[in-house]
Amino acid sequence: MKKEIGQEYTVALLAIGLGLLAGAVLMLVTGNNPLLGFFYLFSGGLMNITRIGNTLATATPLIFTGLSVAFAFRTGLFNIGAAGQMLIGGLCATALGLTLPWPKPLLLPVIVLAAALGGALWGLVPGWLKAKFNVHEVVCTIMMNWIAYWSVYYIVPAYFKGAYLETESRRIPEAASLKVGWLTRLFKGSYINLGFFIAIATVLIIAYILDRTTLGYELKAVGYNRDAAEYAGIQANRNIILSMMIAGACAGLGGAAFYVGYASNMQIGVLPSQGFDGIAVALLGANSPWGVFMAAIFFGLLHSGKGFMNAMTKVPPEIADSIIATIIYFAATSVLMERLRQRLQKRRQARDKTDLPLDPEAKLQEKVGGVG
Amino acid sequence: MYKKILIVLVILVVAVLVAVNVGQRTGVLKMGRLKVGMVTDAGTIDDKSFNQGTWEGVLQAGEEFGLETRYLKPAGTTEADYLTEIGNLYDAGFKFMVCPGFKFETPIYQAQDRYPDAKFVIIDGNPHAGDFVPVVKENTVSIFFAEHESGFIAGVATALQLKEGELGYIGGMEIPAVQKFNWGFQQGVRYANTHLGTNMVIRPENVIYQGSFDNVAAGQQLAAQMYDRGVKAIFAAAGGVGIGVINEAKARARAGQEVWVVGVDVDQYDEGIYDGNKSVILTSATKQIKKATYDMIKAELDGKFPGGEILVFDAKNDGIGIPDENPNLSAEVESKVAEVYAKLKSGEIVVSDVRGDLIR
Amino acid sequence: MEYVVEMLKIRKEFPGVVANDDITLQLKPGEIHALLGENGAGKSTLMSILFGLYPPDQGTIKVRGQEVKITDPNVANDLGIGMVHQHFKLVHNFTVTENIMLGMEMTKGLVLDHKAAAERIRQLSQRYGLNVDPEAKIEDISVGMQQRVEILKMLYRDAEVLIFDEPTSVLTPQEIQDLMVIMRNLANEGKSIILITHKLKEIKAIADRCTVIRRGRVVGTVDVASTSEEELARMMVGREVSFTAEKTERIPGDVVLKVENLYAYDNRKVMALRGFSLEVRSGEIVGLAGVDGNGQAELVEVITGMRKAESGRVLLKGVDITNCSIRDRIRMGIAHIPADRHKHGLILDYTLQENMILKVYDQAPFAEKGLLNREAIAEYAARLMAEFDVRSGQGATALARSLSGGNQQKAIVGREIDLNPELLLAVQPTRGLDVGAIEYIHRRILEQRDKGKAVLLVSLELDEILNLADRIAVIHNGELVGVVDAKEANEHEIGLMMAGGQRGATA
Repeated sequence: MKKEIGQEYTVALLAIGLGLLAGAVLMLVTGNNPLLGFFYLFSGGLMNITRIGNTLATATPLIFTGLSVAFAFRTGLFNIGAAGQMLIGGLCATALGLTLPWPKPLLLPVIVLAAALGGALWGLVPGWLKAKFNVHEVVCTIMMNWIAYWSVYYIVPAYFKGAYLETESRRIPEAASLKVGWLTRLFKGSYINLGFFIAIATVLIIAYILDRTTLGYELKAVGYNRDAAEYAGIQANRNIILSMMIAGACAGLGGAAFYVGYASNMQIGVLPSQGFDGIAVALLGANSPWGVFMAAIFFGLLHSGKGFMNAMTKVPPEIADSIIATIIYFAATSVLMERLRQRLQKRRQARDKTDLPLDPEAKLQEKVGGVG
Repeated sequence: MYKKILIVLVILVVAVLVAVNVGQRTGVLKMGRLKVGMVTDAGTIDDKSFNQGTWEGVLQAGEEFGLETRYLKPAGTTEADYLTEIGNLYDAGFKFMVCPGFKFETPIYQAQDRYPDAKFVIIDGNPHAGDFVPVVKENTVSIFFAEHESGFIAGVATALQLKEGELGYIGGMEIPAVQKFNWGFQQGVRYANTHLGTNMVIRPENVIYQGSFDNVAAGQQLAAQMYDRGVKAIFAAAGGVGIGVINEAKARARAGQEVWVVGVDVDQYDEGIYDGNKSVILTSATKQIKKATYDMIKAELDGKFPGGEILVFDAKNDGIGIPDENPNLSAEVESKVAEVYAKLKSGEIVVSDVRGDLIR
Repeated sequence: MEYVVEMLKIRKEFPGVVANDDITLQLKPGEIHALLGENGAGKSTLMSILFGLYPPDQGTIKVRGQEVKITDPNVANDLGIGMVHQHFKLVHNFTVTENIMLGMEMTKGLVLDHKAAAERIRQLSQRYGLNVDPEAKIEDISVGMQQRVEILKMLYRDAEVLIFDEPTSVLTPQEIQDLMVIMRNLANEGKSIILITHKLKEIKAIADRCTVIRRGRVVGTVDVASTSEEELARMMVGREVSFTAEKTERIPGDVVLKVENLYAYDNRKVMALRGFSLEVRSGEIVGLAGVDGNGQAELVEVITGMRKAESGRVLLKGVDITNCSIRDRIRMGIAHIPADRHKHGLILDYTLQENMILKVYDQAPFAEKGLLNREAIAEYAARLMAEFDVRSGQGATALARSLSGGNQQKAIVGREIDLNPELLLAVQPTRGLDVGAIEYIHRRILEQRDKGKAVLLVSLELDEILNLADRIAVIHNGELVGVVDAKEANEHEIGLMMAGGQRGATA
């Protein structure tokens, strides 16, 4: 087991290396010094305590959405709906934050819980449809994204708009914000907020569920081999619903972290990009909770350092976006490629041991793959 | 494997550090000359309106006075996203920043305190703490445009040129600047109908806010519906959505239908060109964003930065209006519009910047 | 030229294993040479080397007396070595001719010369008695025919040496007979054949000589005619092997499983069970014989709860369980060795440990209040592995995927038997396993019977049923044809019943 985890990290590092290399090529092509570019990229995210805080704050929603995608994936489900779940989570949090006149210590837990429940509800629908009618969750979650988008579009201006603006909610009161004074001061005015600690707690909980509980055992069993799970008496459908709900809850928490933590009100007409970045985060993090955590921090670093690189070099923002996208793309896809290679290798090892039937074409491909 | 990669990464990092040290010593960061930065609003830098107008003003000043200029594009549209980019510009030595859009109101409110040695120009907004009580510090200038007057004059011009028929309005998001264009336009049409003998109609179903500034396809679709309902000209104050409107108009104009678009923010005549030299842009309701931006930078260089002030660009100081040249307007119309504009300037005509009894 | 192919002192090592150690294999022209060995003995590795998939670490290969380096399958093809794979490599919506032409298209200018190719295929087919229609689409022809297309592919490429990799595993008894005739024809026409198998019967029936390998080494090359099946088995396994399971007389007890007038659909919504009824008593093994696809799978699924019965009842010790969940039935004492160990029996990406608790993971001591107890699980897995002789290189924390087929099956058998069930459903429990593993699993199944459990054995191999069962039930087209006492049964009679009582369906 341990060896395998080591390998996964190697792969992730390799992937990041490749991504940076691709980014460097892009910088060279556009006539910029990649070494300087990367220096400013990383110092933009790390050069002082404020920036470190901002990097963590940027990473926080990504941790949640990454966990959401990864968790569903462990049950064999592809959750493209993290963006919508995040929106609904954020909407629940914002709505309560603007409505309940409670003191902060009482209000925050309620808000966070409501966000998780909202996201869970948004995961429940596709999960239930998948279990009951075998509606593919990819289609369903994408549609749920738009339902969330337009719900927010209607609900925020109708009930929570401010005095002047039709397009965003009122500013949430201090009592409802995940930003807390001591943390902001500690990080010298950074946007880091309690969401980051909730994220760490969520990583721990998800890791615990997956590794230590019968629920995790069931969920993974369904993910690896639904037929065998059903054969063993595990109710696959119940687990599919449950898995989507937990995934939704993670993304919903991300919504709270983003809308009442990082931001301070809710704007309509925006489907949060973090929902989709979560897919890349989950891929790079190899669907393991701590892997997701690390990957999210890395992506957070890229996102928060990008602007400083822009400001310090002549790399235009559009190219900078391309560079970041290239790094992410390479990071995510090389993990895929590597995993494919490993699977083939594993199969070959298994075959060598068991003397399974010859399959020369597959072996040929492995050979070719092994060289690359 | 693992170790090798780690070694490579370490080497890479060290190389970067060395390179940068050398770079810094040879003076990458020159001091002295003013460096002007801009943070874009939602949308791209070449949006043919707001961002582009601001950036052109920055560029013009940069070229004329030999300044280093840079724009940054925020990752999102939250206060934190904007504030991050302001911080990035500041840390990179850009201490004069132009920020177009009301979304910068709360970020600038914080930035003007956090970076007291930097200067801020906010266009279409007032710094405030989230309570809409303007707090413009000594290092900040707040610039507004009288969009309602701009819309008014465009409305008058449109009505005069087309005489009779139906008009429509497509807005982006329902935000103050976009609303004021709408209300001004309606008042302008009404003015022309009552005082100048035109007979233009705006039906409630032809006044629409699409809800975004970037959905080109939706703009095209809405425009198609309006033109099908018999609308002759659409005033599109909607960024990318407006591009869709123009596209639809061009397609119909090529097919021989008589349809027009009234542009917004900047002179959009060139956007509407089809068949070589014809354009579907009847005229544009412009704001002199480029000029305002340029003026502020020049004032700073001259030591006359009007810090703490809220400036309004309207007809009185020629901050709004329709373009100087409007090939699709007849000379007669242009001269009549000039008369109305003069009245607007003198205060004889007052355009309301609230909805009142207008449509939406 | 005494030998057409010679593999001399071949050695091939993989990390941690010596797959082939000093193996010599000599193939005479026109002979059928069997390569016999248990799963994992090194047969496939050896053939992969001959086919150019791996380079040997040591040793030489000679073809028609010339030393050659076979660096990839194309070289092997050029040398006239062809392989008929166990899993066919055919494009299903192409015709026979199109499939055979793939990769070596005959052209007339730029146009494919389809006619000439079809004609050549027709001739080859006739010459070797293959009886293949060159214009038929692959998806329309039987598995046996598809195999012949694979053979034709080799012949079309002028192969002189044909390697058959477990060719009978996918065939019906009748098709096996036909294949034997074809192989004999090929040999008579001068082709040389290497037959990879672990089925002794086939070797006795068709092969001229046989090379037996065990754990990567040659045990010997023998003349098949003068060697008995028992001797071959002993060479392969390394010890005495009993072919007939020792059975003691037992008087069956109470009815454990009772199936009454069962109707159920299959996956295509066709009625697969039509009023099927059966009883299984404690202390007896009832063998369910039948040609594949006659409702056996559906019957097992209805009994275990994986499929809904349309009507009829399933009773376990008198309790109606027709509408119980899968889990309830497991708890009530139904254990199930599934036909497909990869699809149902194991979660291949789980460790062996995790697989061992597949049905009891939520029970004490493995779980308490929803939390897994790793120690208890490890202990349990270790005990089962020792008890059921499950061998794994990395122990209980190895992924199930990494185990050999025999060990995977032993793990499943161990897990199911350790449930201490009232009823054991054993479906194809020895499919694809070698003699040693088969013997072992048969012994464990008999043990269950002797302990007074009820066993329903479903198998497509009549030998297995005749060998183990006390009573034999025959299913045809979803209906029970009849039940016969195993002591009085003979292969011919049951074969007739399997065909639904109509004559001419069994060999």
